Amino acid sequence: MPEAPPDVRDPAAALALLATRRPSLELSTLDLGLLVALHARAAATGLGAFTEAQLEEAYAAAAAAIEPDADPRRRAPAAIQRLRAQRLLARVDGQGVVRSGEFALSRLAAGIVEFFLEDDVLTQGNLAVLTAGVQAVLTTALEAARGATTPAAWQAEVEAPLRVTARDLVAGIERRQRGLDLQQEEFQGSIQRLLEADWFGAVAECQHLLEATSATLRELATMLLRDVATLRVALHDLEDLAAAAGQVDAERAAQRVLEQLDRVAAWGAARQRAWSEYFQYVHRYLRDVVRLDPARALTHRLREQLAGGGPRFALTLAAEGPMRVLRTARVVRPQPPVVRPRAPRERELAAAPVDDPQLALDAEVRASLAGGAATLSTVTRDVTGPLPPRERYLHAGRVAQTVARLAHAHGERERAWVASTDELVIEEWAVAPREAS
Amino acid sequence: MSAPAPRGYAELQDVLLDADFPDVDVALRRGRHVDRDDVAWYALLSDGQALLEPLYRRYGCELVHRPDGFFYLVPVGDRVSRRQLAPGDMLVGQALTLLYLDPAVAARGGRVGLDDVVTQLVAVLGAGPLVATFNPSRKRVDERAAERVTRAKIGEAVRRLATLGFVEAEDEGRLRLRAALMRFAEPVRGQAAPAEALAALVASGEIVFEDAAAPPPERDDDEVVRDDEADDADAPDDDDGDDDDEP
Repeated sequence: MPEAPPDVRDPAAALALLATRRPSLELSTLDLGLLVALHARAAATGLGAFTEAQLEEAYAAAAAAIEPDADPRRRAPAAIQRLRAQRLLARVDGQGVVRSGEFALSRLAAGIVEFFLEDDVLTQGNLAVLTAGVQAVLTTALEAARGATTPAAWQAEVEAPLRVTARDLVAGIERRQRGLDLQQEEFQGSIQRLLEADWFGAVAECQHLLEATSATLRELATMLLRDVATLRVALHDLEDLAAAAGQVDAERAAQRVLEQLDRVAAWGAARQRAWSEYFQYVHRYLRDVVRLDPARALTHRLREQLAGGGPRFALTLAAEGPMRVLRTARVVRPQPPVVRPRAPRERELAAAPVDDPQLALDAEVRASLAGGAATLSTVTRDVTGPLPPRERYLHAGRVAQTVARLAHAHGERERAWVASTDELVIEEWAVAPREAS
Repeated sequence: MSAPAPRGYAELQDVLLDADFPDVDVALRRGRHVDRDDVAWYALLSDGQALLEPLYRRYGCELVHRPDGFFYLVPVGDRVSRRQLAPGDMLVGQALTLLYLDPAVAARGGRVGLDDVVTQLVAVLGAGPLVATFNPSRKRVDERAAERVTRAKIGEAVRRLATLGFVEAEDEGRLRLRAALMRFAEPVRGQAAPAEALAALVASGEIVFEDAAAPPPERDDDEVVRDDEADDADAPDDDDGDDDDEP
């Protein structure tokens, strides 16, 4: 199954396919001449295909015009094979090796020939034809838009003509603009060749070329401005009608054609500006350089000067520095003198509340004894009970010390171990308040 | 592009009160050359030339107008500072002038790239002398590094010449050559012998000989001294100051 052609919208895929297939084109002038000869013969005779003998005849005719010294009988088969390998000639008879075949120019070959042969440069003539064509399509589409009532009618009578015909015609203008750009490059080459060949003698011809091209570009620019303005009005009307009817596709098609026209107009304006600068530059060059130096001696003398013939010198220039710009004045307030802060040597004492934990413990133990606690375990339970379990052990010793200080403690020789709280077991004392004893 | 209407200055005051005058005056005093591509400025100077010449003469300057279509100031007194173009800038300026005279460059509207300037210098001077001119250090340096430094210094010289109105820097590194470049060809333009032409230009203050007792040129504030490739840690680069190592 033949491979699907690469999607031109996906450059990466297209490039990957090219990298795999590795196509290349290599055409000599004689090869191009053969293609042109075949194209001309096909146009004249209506023949779509050629036999091998006819191919060799065409090759001989091209060689006679382009390379008279070539031996066409010896080189023709190789040239034909080369064109077949590069897919410029396609075999169309399908007979394989059964008999000699018939060949036709491929699409690629036809495109190459058309590029070199056909007049694809923007002129007043073809610009008028193309813009008239676009105007006709837009006029028809406008009438259809005013009467269209169904989406199918919009699609067939408005969107399709815009998308296909109008865009193709405007693309034709753009293609010819590119052809005109190519022609400008050739024009610049002509100016260069004339001056290099004849210098002073070429001035008149160069000026004539400049004037003629200026006139052409000026007329083209005027036509473009006028015609594009008219086409824009029609497209805006179409856009408004499509928007009012809710026809999004038709509206978009009109916008795309408008964008194309904007590009065409921008091209025209940019070319005019660029041409104006170029025209002035070359005119000044012809006047200030060529006319004043007919023998073209200045270049030679300057080259000798640069190479070191004669004393070295330097141009004098004015070199005034930038003006002194004074800064804006601002009021400076006098700063207070820097002094050391004076503080009293001795600070006055201030009463502060005392937070003595022993006093708090004493109060709790007295409260427990006053509440009737008669044993150390009871006092310990009363005082350490509210505390977190991990702190009870710590406080148990302090409780015992406080009880011993605040009350009479009496213990047997063998004191019993009594559970005071869930975690504490202490050796029991009998305690009595000091006042009671 | 149509020429602007004549401004019709009746008095010097009218020129001084023109909205463009301050910018033109400052540009001229900083060495800028004004040509026809500076449309408004050129129109002001053309229309007010007769009134401005006496004014600048009082400052010790001559307002020069060349038939090629450009104006510039030449200080002949001491009131306005003056300087001379550095030797490297002079070489690059003359190479640009050769390109300006080339029909191939004229045919493409006077546009060149930095490569064209380097090629022109190599064609006239030779690669070795060119590198030696822009790398006056006596130490042996890597050839490729020296070529890189040379190319960078030629680029810097082009930028300095662009601020003076000799070329116009465009997008993508392209340069547009301007009429003021013909000033570099002044000594060899006329019918007189070059020595006589040079003497006349020296007498008018337009040029000085490089070996004359002139103060060393001031370094530009934005000049970048690049010695990153060569080993000149102990000697700053002096391609536009001293002439000791000139071939």
